[in-house]
Amino acid sequence: MTTGTPATTGTPAATGTPATTGTSATTGDLPPSLVATLPGDWYVDPAVFALEQRLIFESMWFCVTRSADLPAPGSFRTAVVGRESVLIGRGRDGTVRAFFNVCRHRGARLCTEESGTVGRAFRCTYHAWTYDLDGRLIAAPNLTKMPDVDRIGYGLVRVHVREWLGYVWVCLADDPPPFEDDVLGEVVTRLGDARAIDRYGVADLELGRRIRYDVAANWKLIVENFMECYHCATIHPELVEVLPEFAAGYAAQYYVGHGAEFGERIEGFTVDGSPGLDRIPTLSPEQDRRYFAITVKPQVFVNLVPDHVILHRMFPLAPDRTIVECDWLYLPDVVASGRDLDRSVELFHRVNQQDFDACERCQPSMSSRVYARGGVLVPSEHHIGGFHDWVRAKLAGTGSPGAGSPGAGPQDAGSPDAGPQGAGVSRDTPGDG
Amino acid sequence: MIAACPLEALPPGASFRLDGENPIALFRTEDGQIFAIDDTCTHQDASLSDGWLDGCEVECPLHSSRFDLRTGEVDAPPAKRAVRTHRVVVDGGTVFVEPSGCDG
Ligand code: FES
Ligand code: FES
Ligand SMILES: [Fe+2]
Repeated sequence: MTTGTPATTGTPAATGTPATTGTSATTGDLPPSLVATLPGDWYVDPAVFALEQRLIFESMWFCVTRSADLPAPGSFRTAVVGRESVLIGRGRDGTVRAFFNVCRHRGARLCTEESGTVGRAFRCTYHAWTYDLDGRLIAAPNLTKMPDVDRIGYGLVRVHVREWLGYVWVCLADDPPPFEDDVLGEVVTRLGDARAIDRYGVADLELGRRIRYDVAANWKLIVENFMECYHCATIHPELVEVLPEFAAGYAAQYYVGHGAEFGERIEGFTVDGSPGLDRIPTLSPEQDRRYFAITVKPQVFVNLVPDHVILHRMFPLAPDRTIVECDWLYLPDVVASGRDLDRSVELFHRVNQQDFDACERCQPSMSSRVYARGGVLVPSEHHIGGFHDWVRAKLAGTGSPGAGSPGAGPQDAGSPDAGPQGAGVSRDTPGDG
Repeated sequence: MIAACPLEALPPGASFRLDGENPIALFRTEDGQIFAIDDTCTHQDASLSDGWLDGCEVECPLHSSRFDLRTGEVDAPPAKRAVRTHRVVVDGGTVFVEPSGCDG
């Protein structure tokens, strides 16, 4: 909005470069207080999204479902991970397994429901190829006349699985990155200590409420929003009432190991500051009356408060569409007792709505010519630059024409058509989040 | 009489497929009885020895019709015709089958 008026410059609208700035997009343009965001087309371009699907969502550990969502042998759930549909199921031996949701015969999607239970096997509804719960092909019409068809070789294709925090994480890569580095490492980066999260005993909590949000925004807008609190005083009146330090605009994620402290007269993490539910007994004194937040890239947010844990899983479906499933987890006794969770849930439900409304408000502007070179980050948002560097590095990793070798840093704007790398605005220093 | 398999090859709950022009499925129920029926479902070409044993019934793995191992009768569509049953003899640790007549 502050970058001049293209109409007066005579610059062709398509370039989106206001002549008033006079120079190409480099950090040299910006006063030291400001750091560039990603260019607008990174939030709308299907080619960028396709790279993200391949190089991020299909390459990293991706949190799909709560283990308890698969209560018994035969329980299953399907989830979109990158470009793939993944089938997650519990076997007769109680083990959770995941497969590409693709029939090995002629490719029909095996399970079309989002969740359910099968008796003994996954049976394709097209020609009835039938797979047992560990993926082996166990029956098919005329199969005995084809003894050369290997029942394991033509079984469902497995996906790597880990369980952590009571959630099932899958990785579609042939060689998954170490879970310890990629997932647990984020916790250490944020909390300074992996054991800090253990004290919440997340895997032993029970689901109190689940709300699903269908957000008309790019997944990166949602991550960026979650990482900063510059917006808090403006759009989160209830949250700032509970966590007054958020009014200053510094997110809990800005400092390592810092948790935002409850306001003096606040009794619990609830929509009106009234008392919450039973406190998780294993917390340390430093964890009481505080809110901690962790982003586990690329698609999980964990919010820790003394009496519950809020865990968001994002499912990016399109450049401008992301499903977010948000779980509120409490001590088992709290859930079993049927106590009223409404004021507890309502606080972060409102935060979610306020945040997702803001993201949806940004999405249409991502393709505005005014935003062609992106926007700017103020100092309390500079750490988001670290996320942008991370995205650039991921997409530069392999695959796209003209991309650098794996691990290469962001490339300079060389050819405008070289995809994300070419379109990128390079910056000198990563954020200090 | 055809020697089908050693008794050890057929623990309780297991099945064994005897190949041939008319393949035969052998089952040993959880309580130890051994039965033999036609292996091929009367609905489509599915191998009942790949199905699921449940008491004295086997459920076809493809479309879930259930056959009674004692009579060969089918409980519900899509299969409509019974399978043939065959006499079983266990002797000296070996399971023998006497195939029923072709027109059973
Ligand atoms: S496509 Fe699944 S059985 Fe043919
Ligand atoms: S093949 Fe047995 S019921 Fe269809
Ligand atoms: Fe927010």
